[in-house]
Amino acid sequence: MKLSLPGPSLTRRLVVLAAGWSLVALLITGVVLTAQFRASVLKRFDDGLSEMAENLLARTEVIDGRVVVSQFTDGRSSRTHTGRYWQVAEVGPDGKLVALQRSKSLFSGDPNLFIPTEGIEALGRDPRQTYSYDFEGPVGEPLRAAAKLSFLPGRETALIFIAAEDRRPVDQDARRFAATATTALILLGLGLLVAVFLQVRIGLQPLFDLRREVAEVRKGRADALARTYPAELAPLAEELNALVAHNQEVVERQRTHAGNLAHALKTPISVMLAEAQSRPGPLAEVVRRQAGAMHGHVEHHLRRARAAARSQSNREQTPIEPVLDELARTLERIFRDKRVSVDWSCAPGVAFQGERQDLLEIIGNVMENACKWSEGKVRVQATESAGGKVSIVIEDNGPGLPADRRADVLKRGARLDEKTAGSGLGLSIVDELARAYGGDLKLHDSSLGGLRVEIILPRAEP
Amino acid sequence: MRVLVVEDDPDLARQLKAALGDAGYAVDHAPDGEEAQFLGDTEPYDAIVLDLGLPKIDGVSVLEQWRRDGIATPVLILTARGAWSEKVAGFDAGADDYLTKPFHTEELLARLRALLRRTAGHASANLSCGELMLDPKAARASVKGEPLRLTSLEYRLLHYLMMHQARVISRTELVEHLYDQDFDRDSNTIEVFVGRLRKKIGPDRIETVRGLGYRLTALSGETS
Repeated sequence: MKLSLPGPSLTRRLVVLAAGWSLVALLITGVVLTAQFRASVLKRFDDGLSEMAENLLARTEVIDGRVVVSQFTDGRSSRTHTGRYWQVAEVGPDGKLVALQRSKSLFSGDPNLFIPTEGIEALGRDPRQTYSYDFEGPVGEPLRAAAKLSFLPGRETALIFIAAEDRRPVDQDARRFAATATTALILLGLGLLVAVFLQVRIGLQPLFDLRREVAEVRKGRADALARTYPAELAPLAEELNALVAHNQEVVERQRTHAGNLAHALKTPISVMLAEAQSRPGPLAEVVRRQAGAMHGHVEHHLRRARAAARSQSNREQTPIEPVLDELARTLERIFRDKRVSVDWSCAPGVAFQGERQDLLEIIGNVMENACKWSEGKVRVQATESAGGKVSIVIEDNGPGLPADRRADVLKRGARLDEKTAGSGLGLSIVDELARAYGGDLKLHDSSLGGLRVEIILPRAEP
Repeated sequence: MRVLVVEDDPDLARQLKAALGDAGYAVDHAPDGEEAQFLGDTEPYDAIVLDLGLPKIDGVSVLEQWRRDGIATPVLILTARGAWSEKVAGFDAGADDYLTKPFHTEELLARLRALLRRTAGHASANLSCGELMLDPKAARASVKGEPLRLTSLEYRLLHYLMMHQARVISRTELVEHLYDQDFDRDSNTIEVFVGRLRKKIGPDRIETVRGLGYRLTALSGETS
């Protein structure tokens, strides 16, 4: 049978799919979460700055046309370059920003705090809002600033109040959060991956069970799928059972056909052989030879059909005792002129793992030989033997067989359609059958004086 | 000796009839199970050659029915089916011997002779009555070593008498065992044949028992 390479694994497919979705979802979650946190922290920072600008506005008054900032002191804006700065400014006649008051944290040589022109324009349009922006501080630090615009009595021009602070702590917080969130999400992702894998394995378990059971059926250890499968697989199991049954039926039918054909051919062959014999001549010789060959083919294919049936299933168990009884009875009848007595014994309850017909064929042929060659005494003993086997020993008190001829008798590896001429024992068929069952055939001298044939066959487990 | 051949293949049946006829048997033929059943039940055969694969009723069933009906005629099964399971079934149904196709005609004749001899209780293959000898294998008889020239019916008559010597055999029994069913039977012809046989083997060997039949005995002074 031609086997195509297996397609991508179902497990892999499900895991990759689930992992893909999880990854995308986690990625989005991470990005959104981090952005949200950053925005929230920044907003709080901006609120602080806005309040500071508000404060600055509240503490600023115009005395004699001069802008004075009173009582606005905190530690950080009093010391130089602390990262917190403020400035009160106005837009000069040339459109440039002119600082009127600056926090002490700005050194005298430092440039004024910066505000982009579009910021001034935006504030000019709506003086109530606070304008937030970023710029670089006097020592190169990134600053966040809030600017407000207000008119104070005593001044013609609008005043701009700017509060600025080093934004690095905020960025650091955001980064720290992002790092923590990423770690957590990666761990979550890995956890999900494991969970998905387990879920797929457990979810697909019935599929693996199904495969195992089908294999059991194929090996002949089970008749049909017997387990209860989930609703999705139950119809498949049912179909498989039907297929197995159908297959067995077809094989059985073919086997019967082959057997019938073979048996039906035997009568015409008989007729041709007899006719050829009664009228000697060259034609008769050809007919005799060809009919003989036909007989060989028929026997060969009969055995093949039996063997095919055997490989199908050998779950049948055959108790040995009744078989010995039947054969002993029959053989004593066949050889009654010779007065052969068959003395048989069988360990209680021993059964052969295989078909009754085959057991009859194996023991029958050996016992017939024993009866044929014996001087009236044949002994048969069936016992359990080690390794799950059964041993059947058949002995006679005939002339026996010289050791150097025993190998010829079995003719191992001889072609099926080859007539085992000369030996007259037909033990090769028995050997072939026993081997098909994983058994063996051994020839020894018997204590009765004749040949001792030991047949080893698989024993049925009760 | 009268034999029934049950065989559905016409060619094989013809061959068997010819071979058995040549060997000195009166032969009837049944081509199917039904006719075999009837003939076996009604005619007193000395042996039956039975095929198993038969039209209408299969051979084993026919045989089983015969045995149930109390027909003890020895039966030789002649079949294509040679597996031991089938042999065992055949013997269990009441067969006396079993031969598988393809077979040699000599083998069949030898088995049949053995069967008849066993049924009549004879130990040796050759029959003898005093100095009268009969060899069923060669279908030849002799007196004091002198071969006899017998027609087939005379041979059959002598064979039957020798098989059942020292017993009185009625004319009807002789008719039933010497002729096949197609023969126009007339018990008076038996007298003719007995007369002819007496001429060939000596007048005193066949004794007429009035009203009962005939008996074959050794001459006084001869050792049998």
